[in-house]
Amino acid sequence: MSKRFHILLTVASAALLSTQAFAQDLFIQDATVVTSDGQRADTDILIRDGAITQIGSNLAAPEGMDVFDGKGQWVTPGLFASFSNLGLVDVAAEATTNDISASGADTSVSERAADSFNPRNASIANTKRRGVTMAVVSPSPSGDSIFAGTGLIATTSGQFNSVVKENAFVHVALGETGASRAGGSRSAAMAQLRGALDDAKGYPNRYRSPTDGDALSRQDAAALAPVVRGEIPLIVSANRASDLLGIIRLKQDYPALDIIILGAAEAWQVAEALAQADMKVILDPVQDLPAQFEDLGARYENVLLLDKAGVDYAIMNLTSYRVTKPAALGQHAGNAVGNVLSWDKAFKAITSTPERWFNLPSQEIKTGPLTSLVIWDGDPLEATSAPVKLWIDGKEQSLESRQSMLRDRYNPLNKSDMPHKYR
Amino acid sequence: MIYRTLLLSAAALLMACDPAASDKSTNKSHKAGSADTEAFPSTYKPLPSKPTRITNAKLIDGVSSEIITGNLFIQDGRIVAIGADAQAPDGFPEDAVSVDAGGRFVTPGIIDIHSHLGDYASPGVEANNDGNEITSPITSEVDAEHGVWPQDPGFDEAVQGGITTLHILPGSANLFGGKGVTLRNIASRTVQGMKFPDAPETLKMACGENPKRVYGDKGGPGSRMGNIAGYRKNWIRATEYKQKRDKGGDDFVRDLQLETLADVLEGKILVEMHCYRADEMAQIIDISKEFGYKVTAFHHAVEAYKIPDLLKENDICAAMWADWYGFKMESYDGIRENVPFVHAGGACAMIHSDDENNIQRLNQEVAKTWADGNRAGLNIPKAEAWKWLSTNPAKALGILDETGTLEVGKRADVVLWSADPFSTYARPETVMIDGATVFDRESGLKPKSDFSVGQGEAPQSMASGDEL
Repeated sequence: MSKRFHILLTVASAALLSTQAFAQDLFIQDATVVTSDGQRADTDILIRDGAITQIGSNLAAPEGMDVFDGKGQWVTPGLFASFSNLGLVDVAAEATTNDISASGADTSVSERAADSFNPRNASIANTKRRGVTMAVVSPSPSGDSIFAGTGLIATTSGQFNSVVKENAFVHVALGETGASRAGGSRSAAMAQLRGALDDAKGYPNRYRSPTDGDALSRQDAAALAPVVRGEIPLIVSANRASDLLGIIRLKQDYPALDIIILGAAEAWQVAEALAQADMKVILDPVQDLPAQFEDLGARYENVLLLDKAGVDYAIMNLTSYRVTKPAALGQHAGNAVGNVLSWDKAFKAITSTPERWFNLPSQEIKTGPLTSLVIWDGDPLEATSAPVKLWIDGKEQSLESRQSMLRDRYNPLNKSDMPHKYR
Repeated sequence: MIYRTLLLSAAALLMACDPAASDKSTNKSHKAGSADTEAFPSTYKPLPSKPTRITNAKLIDGVSSEIITGNLFIQDGRIVAIGADAQAPDGFPEDAVSVDAGGRFVTPGIIDIHSHLGDYASPGVEANNDGNEITSPITSEVDAEHGVWPQDPGFDEAVQGGITTLHILPGSANLFGGKGVTLRNIASRTVQGMKFPDAPETLKMACGENPKRVYGDKGGPGSRMGNIAGYRKNWIRATEYKQKRDKGGDDFVRDLQLETLADVLEGKILVEMHCYRADEMAQIIDISKEFGYKVTAFHHAVEAYKIPDLLKENDICAAMWADWYGFKMESYDGIRENVPFVHAGGACAMIHSDDENNIQRLNQEVAKTWADGNRAGLNIPKAEAWKWLSTNPAKALGILDETGTLEVGKRADVVLWSADPFSTYARPETVMIDGATVFDRESGLKPKSDFSVGQGEAPQSMASGDEL
């Protein structure tokens, strides 16, 4: 055992108590490997002491090393869910288990998802089993504020140290949701947002006089200050083309804002303008129905037209993103491919693109310390594929979850004579 | 003057519907508004179709467990020959439309047994919220078809996903929610024009959390105990009503609410029951035995994988999602292998959507759960798993004699796929209902609801992104 490995073991003894294990030395042979250059068929990967030491074709397996037969298997970085409520809710309909929003609170921006997030939440392991290793975790707006609060980014390791960015972004709603929160109109929502940005820009000076800010309490203005300085992104949900143009105007007035638009069903109608304004967009490529009047123009060509116009976009399963169904990320990206977006572009939209937006270390597969890695039993964008091995932060993860345990207990192949509670 | 005429006609109509106002013959006669006159009869007419010969297709017929490479012949909207070596039957026209499938997949049209399209139409504005009669826990007198808006754009998107038949249900707020309706996914100005001819009527019932949550502070039920008492009290009422109806006579007064339940007891209406938990399904089965009716299918059935033996023994189907779980307590134990485990346990399993988005991709939902089942050690062939998409839903809707499989004599409800339908990348290329092409990707043939006309698109004079 190397000295370095020994030290790691000591430091991370807590991790050993869990179901995690450190990466074993492993030789993966003849897999399809997805690197930043795209798919590479019949490729070998050598993992040694927690690092990828070699990637290539026809490599020789080092003597005595475990060989993983990669024929028909795919090796990729873990998937990145660019929007979710993971870890904020156990059972959505049970208020005591649901910390997604606080309709009775006087606070808004300063409500931090990090104070609600539970890495032991059962849905996190269920989601990890589907190859998602990193997730944006956001609260949702409620009450009379357009602001949902401050969100985080976490891995799906289930460890208490899985939050990689505590105050990663602020989420605010415009469009129909924002309008209803602000009291009934889009004008009210935008007035609240501009007032809040001015409050944050003027913080703390604006709060030294007896008259407070226009839209935010001192506490919430302080929480929004990093957003107006452009230090963390502002995720703005909106769908109607005219609302998206309103966001572009907002950016002109507050140039430091780092804006990510969430939803963007009608973005294709203003694609060039979004590209020119360097707007980032999170969308669902399967959204093709007018869920509300604000997305009358929803169509599956949205992602194709944004791509053509050069818009920076991420793909998320927004039409089914809630904790009940967050695991369908690869499938939704696969549907963009089914509608003729290139595979490489769709895959970047669920991995490296959101990673870049949040300034996270690259997870791409290259020689060097092992980050996240997934071995799939097929193309990860096919709904039929699933991970067979998965690493986060260089540590191999258990793929067991509450769901897999219930599965094993009730598997028709389980021939135990004992009642199910004993299985 | 016109106004007054309208009022008069309305009054006349009301009279016509009032049994007390019509002649005094028994309820067995075919008088207007009697139980024996079909209300809201189907006016569905297949679209014109041409005799069609599809050759060199990978056929999943919904019957066989194997994929067969062969030919399919369609005439007068029906399948007239199918099989590996199927030839044109006698009299099949020489000039029939010929489609060389070139090894592509051909399957039955997909049937969604659980949809709210039309009742919860897009856009989801308040005025389009017609799926739940949340005024009483007992509303067996209402009909889902009376909430269906045929202009819901969801029907148009469902057809490009290969949906040829769908069953629209009332929501699950009530113990007895009302009747469901089985529809052809066909462009029509009226819901009657979509109704599947002679499909059995159905009754939506609901277990568990929803009724007790909705009525907990509105007079009950406020608990699962109240739910069960509510079913039993009303089956007792229905039994008495049925006895009176059987006896007939002048003092018999028609009651729409009890008529539905009595028709269930008579075996004329199929029970489609929303139920998540295994233990509750077992209790419902006992109630059905107590009152002598049959549950045809449990819907959602998130815990059906815990009781496949019970479902098999009682010949009850389960209609399920692939991977929805965790949104409420009774869905907390959802697993990804529910459908294949029920199937492997020998019971009748199927997929359902309950969703205007997933209904467009039910083949992918089956692909997902099929793959997870096989990963858990089962060995279910694709052609066998396909039955979760068409054969079993047709069985549970009582229309298997007419559709759900590709067999000679059945309606030609057919999908030609661009690739293996178990692939996320596959798309229906051509969708046929009764042999008529209702969707064709290449030619752009696709229905478009009135609602979608003239909005949601850039104005003609303006190229995308210009002139901002």
